[in-house]
Amino acid sequence: MNFLTLAAKNLLRRRGRTVLTVLGVAIAISVLFSLLALNSGYERELDKEVNSMGVHVLAVPKGCPYEAASLIIHGGVIPKYLSAGDVENVSRIDGVELATPILMHQFMKKDDKTGIYTPHIIYGIEIEDMLRLKPWWKVEGRLFADNETRVMLVGRDLADKENLSVGQVLPVGPDKEDFAIVGILDRTGDQDDQFHFFPLAEAQRVFHKEGKITTIAVKLRDVTQISAVSEEMEKVPDIQVVTMTQVMGTIMNLAGSARSLLLTVMAVALIISAFGIINTLLMSVNERTREFGMMKAVGASGTDIARIVLAETVFITIAGGAVGIISAIIGSSLIEGFVKGMLPYSPRGSLISISPELIGFALAFSVILGLACGIYPAIKSSRLTPMEAIREGLQ
Amino acid sequence: MSRIIEARGLNKVYRRGSEEIHALNDVDFTLEEGKFVSIIGPSGSGKTALLNMLGCLDTPSSGSLKLIGTETSGLEERDLVRLRRDNIGFVFQQFYLMPTLTARENIELPLLFSKKKGQRDRIDGVLEMVGLSDRGDHLPSQLSGGEMQRVAIGRALINDPRIILADEPTGNLDSSTSQLIFELFRGLNRQGMTLVVVTHNLELARQANVMYTLRDGRIAGCRDLSGRQDTQDSRGAASRAA
Repeated sequence: MNFLTLAAKNLLRRRGRTVLTVLGVAIAISVLFSLLALNSGYERELDKEVNSMGVHVLAVPKGCPYEAASLIIHGGVIPKYLSAGDVENVSRIDGVELATPILMHQFMKKDDKTGIYTPHIIYGIEIEDMLRLKPWWKVEGRLFADNETRVMLVGRDLADKENLSVGQVLPVGPDKEDFAIVGILDRTGDQDDQFHFFPLAEAQRVFHKEGKITTIAVKLRDVTQISAVSEEMEKVPDIQVVTMTQVMGTIMNLAGSARSLLLTVMAVALIISAFGIINTLLMSVNERTREFGMMKAVGASGTDIARIVLAETVFITIAGGAVGIISAIIGSSLIEGFVKGMLPYSPRGSLISISPELIGFALAFSVILGLACGIYPAIKSSRLTPMEAIREGLQ
Repeated sequence: MSRIIEARGLNKVYRRGSEEIHALNDVDFTLEEGKFVSIIGPSGSGKTALLNMLGCLDTPSSGSLKLIGTETSGLEERDLVRLRRDNIGFVFQQFYLMPTLTARENIELPLLFSKKKGQRDRIDGVLEMVGLSDRGDHLPSQLSGGEMQRVAIGRALINDPRIILADEPTGNLDSSTSQLIFELFRGLNRQGMTLVVVTHNLELARQANVMYTLRDGRIAGCRDLSGRQDTQDSRGAASRAA
């Protein structure tokens, strides 16, 4: 028998109460754990998403807000355009390895089964440039050449969702022209899986945007030169420069407020659970005043009593922490769905990143929570003189 | 015989609102090693207050108390804990056993606090001494009142104290069980243990060597019963023989 078994046996005396307290801690720790897992996962996925664009700097029409950057990443239509001349000007800037024009547009596609029209995003691209930006592109079927007409590539997720296959023909644009799917891109794990890709000239023709482009994607020779190059680019009239770090920052800011709300929820949950633990402990300590008096009479010091009370608390919080972490891991997909619904922008990959460090941190936090909550009841019980304790207990 | 407890002019005053209650009034008390002393008196006479004072569970308002040659007034709580733990075993009326621990574990409890480990044989020895060798693995709820008090006595004995202080140890027990507990005390005394037992039962109190009577916080009487006890003993032996 030692202090730990003694503490464990004390907890088993009031099983119901112990279980409820453990559950309270479990809820708090599981909220803490999922939010931390979510936080690191969110940043990681966002980073991956931005990097996977293969684009360092975007040039967009002036007056286009930063928020449009997120539209560009996920696809969207900005009703302002740049021209081929701007592309020329940007590519001449020192340090720019590649500047390629992109036209984004959308068309409504009728679902065969439900008859509902949904918006589909089209990227008009120059295929050679695009392959230099995204050398990882692989295709089922074949790629198109820039001078081909009425051909498209489709992202894998989109193809799966819409049951599209190579050789199929889709009506596109105001004149419902038939475009043939010549290739389906292999999964890239990013937004490219969701888009249609047309040769740039074809996209401009079919939507009557001849000579117009939405954005210029720029790859740098040296990423560390990003600020110097974007400064140069700003000198081109009509152009506003958005670097990928800015995009990320903007998205982070957007998400920030929602995340601070979540953090507040977490803090409240933790505080409530901490007070619950303190309350439970004080109750159980008060109930056992006489017992502590007896222990003192048979030779326990104040430190011994404090140690028993602290051991009990830490037992509760560690058990709660373990239950919380396990249930957070089990329920992570549920939480992810909830959070994705709440945040204004979220990357498409799995947001929850669970690492051994994180599990270690959450467990350590449980222990600290236990010590913090146990300290007052422990001190309170250790200060009793044996007589006080025994007398008090008799009343 | 050495004086194991020496108390001079002990006073204890409690406050209840504006009223002052004198639980002990200028009490002198000496205890020699190896004695079995009983303290008797009506309720409120200060019996328990005196016993708690002797065991350093409570501090006197004034007066001096020497325990095994050590003056206790002014001692730090830490030193008091050590003095109490190494020299005194307590037995209470309510037993105060831990309901979650078996008889054996309850007896073992003080060893946990005195940081002595691996005393299996010692625990077995104490269990046998209090006559519970076959009940060691029972929980208090599975024991009778007398057995519970035996466990409590075992717990008081485990740290090998010089004195046992018992506060109404038979207050919750029927008369035949009470007699068995007192026989256990007398057995311990025969092996050299010093005992102070507070009781309200005159018949039991008379089985000690010395009986003190307390009234209104003062010692009202002190009777040496050694001789008489001896005759009782021989009479008991004679009747058993017959």
